[in-house]
Amino acid sequence: MAADQGQDLITLTTDKLSADGVSESVTCPSCGAISLFIGTTRDNFEGKKVIRLEYEAYIPMAESELRKICSDIRTKWPSVRHICIQHRLGVVPVTEASVIIGISSPHRSESLEAVKYGIDTLKATVPIWKKEIYESGQPCWKENKECLWADDGTDSKES
Amino acid sequence: MNTEQVSVLYFAKSAELTGLKAENITVPSNITSLQLWQDLETRHPRLSVLRDQVVLAVRQEYVPLCAQPLSLREGDEVAIIPPLSGG
Repeated sequence: MAADQGQDLITLTTDKLSADGVSESVTCPSCGAISLFIGTTRDNFEGKKVIRLEYEAYIPMAESELRKICSDIRTKWPSVRHICIQHRLGVVPVTEASVIIGISSPHRSESLEAVKYGIDTLKATVPIWKKEIYESGQPCWKENKECLWADDGTDSKES
Repeated sequence: MNTEQVSVLYFAKSAELTGLKAENITVPSNITSLQLWQDLETRHPRLSVLRDQVVLAVRQEYVPLCAQPLSLREGDEVAIIPPLSGG
């Protein structure tokens, strides 16, 4: 029987994300490990109450950058089997997930390391932006410190 | 001098500053990324606040603002990319 072809499952959607759905999508019989990262909306930033995040994306390029991340993961961790990356767009209320990364591998260290690499690289390279909407005061476009062209002042730069 | 019509796409803060999601402009095909940005700042002066914190994406590849000629082709997409905040 031929070996499983590893799948790269990439989704950008305004629908609510499901960790169960991501986990099921990367499950495979020959893998003993599934690692998940879930990024959720926090309710505070520098003492201000956040009521929601709003995400937008340059969709075709976000998809191609996410595919590059999957390809990099497979080069660095060849035993990785399936990779699922889902990012929500539009409004994401507090405590809901904005991003979920799920990766399966035969043994745990590869999927754990690959998930960390995936989210770190996503934050540096994928053309997606989020705006924090506060209970009071002006909304603010956030900047990831991982992004090379963000202002290199404090970690939490606002614009 | 060859000129080409390209689409400029605005995202996030740059869309708010210009009031636009997209526009078509005609520029020399060998314009540099820096010259293209300066052209856009002339059209939309409010973009100047992003000058030190922006890159372009030409045909979906990142290009910093510099003296690199872009070799633009008719119908190319040039996206304005403020600092990323995915994830």
